[in-house]
Amino acid sequence: MLDKHADYIAAYGSKNDDYEYTLSEYLRMSGIYWGLTVMDLMGQLPRMNQQEIIDFITACQHECGGISASIGHDPHLLYTLSAIQILCLYDSTDAIDVDKVVEYIKGLQQEDGSFAGDKWGEIDTRFSFCAAAALALLGRMDAINVDKAVEFVLSCMNFDGGFGCRPGSESHAGQIYCCTGFLSLTGQLHQVNADLLGWWLCERQLLSGGLNGRPEKLPDVCYSWWVLASLKIIGKIHWIDKAKLRTFILACQDEETGGFADRPGDMVDPFHTLFGVAGLSLLGDKQIKPVNPVLCMPEDIMQRLNLKPELLNFFLPMLTLVLLHHRNLEIIFSHA
Amino acid sequence: MKLYSLCVIYKGATKANLLKAAYDLSSFSFFQRSSVQEFMTFTSALIVERSTQGSRASVKEQEYLCHVYVRNDNLSAVVIADTEYPQRVCFSLLEKVLEEFSRQVDSINWPSGNPESINYKALDIHLAKYQNPREADAMTKVQAELDETKIILHNTMESLLDRGEKLDDLVAKSEHLGNQSKAFYKTARKQN
Amino acid sequence: EVDVLVQRVVKDISNAFKRNPNIDEIGVIPCPEARYNRSPIVLVENKLGVESWCIKFLLPYVHNKLLLYRQRKHWLDREALVDITSTLLLLNPDFTTAWNVRKELLQCGALVPEKDLYLGKLALTKFPKSPETWIHRRWVLQQVLQRFSAAACRSQQQHGEMESSELQRSPMLSDQLTRTLHEEMKVCCDAACRYPSNYNAWSHRIWVLQHMARGNIKFFHDELSSMRVWVSMHVSDHSGFHYRQFLLKELMTELSQAPTSSYASQNRPSTAPSSSPPHPSHTEANGELTGAEASGDEERQLNSATVLQLFHQELELCSDLIQSFPGHETLWSHRRHVFYLWHLW
Ligand SMILES: CC(C)=CCC/C(C)=C/CC/C(C)=C/CC/C(C)=C/COP(=O)(O)OP(=O)(O)O
Repeated sequence: MLDKHADYIAAYGSKNDDYEYTLSEYLRMSGIYWGLTVMDLMGQLPRMNQQEIIDFITACQHECGGISASIGHDPHLLYTLSAIQILCLYDSTDAIDVDKVVEYIKGLQQEDGSFAGDKWGEIDTRFSFCAAAALALLGRMDAINVDKAVEFVLSCMNFDGGFGCRPGSESHAGQIYCCTGFLSLTGQLHQVNADLLGWWLCERQLLSGGLNGRPEKLPDVCYSWWVLASLKIIGKIHWIDKAKLRTFILACQDEETGGFADRPGDMVDPFHTLFGVAGLSLLGDKQIKPVNPVLCMPEDIMQRLNLKPELLNFFLPMLTLVLLHHRNLEIIFSHA
Repeated sequence: MKLYSLCVIYKGATKANLLKAAYDLSSFSFFQRSSVQEFMTFTSALIVERSTQGSRASVKEQEYLCHVYVRNDNLSAVVIADTEYPQRVCFSLLEKVLEEFSRQVDSINWPSGNPESINYKALDIHLAKYQNPREADAMTKVQAELDETKIILHNTMESLLDRGEKLDDLVAKSEHLGNQSKAFYKTARKQN
Repeated sequence: EVDVLVQRVVKDISNAFKRNPNIDEIGVIPCPEARYNRSPIVLVENKLGVESWCIKFLLPYVHNKLLLYRQRKHWLDREALVDITSTLLLLNPDFTTAWNVRKELLQCGALVPEKDLYLGKLALTKFPKSPETWIHRRWVLQQVLQRFSAAACRSQQQHGEMESSELQRSPMLSDQLTRTLHEEMKVCCDAACRYPSNYNAWSHRIWVLQHMARGNIKFFHDELSSMRVWVSMHVSDHSGFHYRQFLLKELMTELSQAPTSSYASQNRPSTAPSSSPPHPSHTEANGELTGAEASGDEERQLNSATVLQLFHQELELCSDLIQSFPGHETLWSHRRHVFYLWHLW
């Protein structure tokens, strides 16, 4: 089946004159990131046209340093992160002006520590994650006020242990992924209530084995990523029924065309294909490369970049406490 | 919490015969209402065709639940609701409607009647009244009367069909569905 | 040839809006083939429909036109830009850059905020979750708020020594603001009805309250009571119940902070936000309410009783719904949260 999925992704980019493709151009950069990452996880990255993609990214960087979804679109943090992720897959960050990107990101931080998605000022914890992830990949986290940024993300924590898009907003699995990922990148995971949050997250599993993103919503393959990655980050992935989830994810594949859909029987797309495959990787599927739960990129890339985002360790709750007091021990546990 | 349609149908030897229907499609997009209505009727008839005499069942289709009651005399009713609407109240509604219908409409007319020829006016009123299940008839009473274990649950429409039979084909073949509705079906399904 | 057709369709759309300013819904009419000699734009009962066959021509056309403009390869005048972006956004409302073009038009005065709020509202009738539509809405509302406060400043200068608290009561401004506020609630409610647990709609609603109704206890009370019926008919809508939790928490905080009679404000006829936008401080908010000088203790007791009553009513509602509609995770989660808030208080 993996070959079929790879064929599906490889073919997706080539039918670029149809109208569906135009419809999704506003998120093209992320679309490319989804496609390339899933190809890499399946060991098929060489099938994609590297030079063309890198040139495209170079062309999408704007005067202000920010990167847009496609040519002629406006720059935004969402696509800036996707572009950097792609360049990291190809080990080619020199294709863009890195200093300018860093300036752009830094310029989007607000007084309260939050991040705007672009110059028009919308605030969302998704953008805090994008900023932190992009800077971590570039090794430039020092460019922003990390303490303030952490303070803002923590102000979005709710009584159920989850996080929303802004202070006072409802907890949502996608936002939780962003916030736990952010806290991991900034070394602040001890600030989450892992038991409480883990409980909320594992309650997302439904009878079908699939995961939803909030209570009483339908299951969706993308939540097998947002929820599962969050559980992995906070060291509670063993709290869900892995075999049942695997069955659900596999049921979302289209046996004929390749690719994954949100639910069994629906139309496949690259977004759900990445999160289906990445979910299987987190569940330990040996045919797929190990994926990093924080950045949603292959672990071998993380190693090359020498990046080790913090993860909570499920068997070391006491030692996590110790960590609180001896920050410099972190280095030891990141190897554990 | 919503009830979308309520149909009274006679289950004939080979085909289901629609006798009366009421709809509340206000929550659907304006330009889809006529197609949605055709689909609800189509689905209701199909479910009656595939259900056995004297049975109660609930069929899940996407985010809808279709509840069917086929009486021993083959008079049947289907109500289509969202998944939030209490199942129990749906069956109480079906029971009540069929009882009333059979009192008002002579059984001679069941096999060949149609919505125009049948004189039974209360369906719209029932549908409107039951939109709020708590204002409708005493739910507690229903609870006592209904043995829930007797309700069959189907997780998809497909599980009602014969082996090898496909919903897509049935839709394509149907003479009750207009071209617009068939086009609507193609786009509505599978897109998310 | 296709160009001519498409240009005509874009015109048909903008004419439809001119002909009928009360269009309240947009939609696609499933129709795989063109019907001879007939526009694919249909206007019935205030609903604007586009026949599906023409979208695959229409969308790429407006899409490319806008991108060429954005890359300065092709000039468009303001009127054309307004038409192109509105057609584009009604078909593809997550096209961020098109909203940005409209932001620029708004900044240079070529568009008024009301027009964009209206366009967004229509887009939401077909795409009730569209994150970019909600995001743009918040930006426009912020412009509206800024205009209000600018107008407030001007009138203050005119009236010389007028107190800032008086100016908030300037009937024209607060009326407009109140109308905007109510319109937003309506837009959120419609979108919430069209898609269950609509995260973007509900978090927008919270944003609006945080930015346009801060400290307005009366408004929060009204929201809480008007939402009662809605949640009772949507017992699995977690977002709706979360919104109630938000309202309860705000009320609880306001009522336990208020050193002066904020509760008395409920009896004031106006529902206007009690202070000037966009970021009123709490002292300001209370400043104008210092009408009746009841003793602080009495007030506190009164407020305490109100909060207690809110909790009781909420739990009663919750128990009642749990009994009527067994098996809903949302209801139990709400119950847990209400107890948590009570405990916090
Ligand atoms: C590196 C990776 C993998 C991602 C980049 C970081 C981002 C942008 C993550 C997005 C996470 C996400 C899904 C956030 C949730 C956004 C949100 C509030 C969606 C609203 O969802 P609903 O309206 O509930 O939609 P559904 O009902 O379809 O779930």
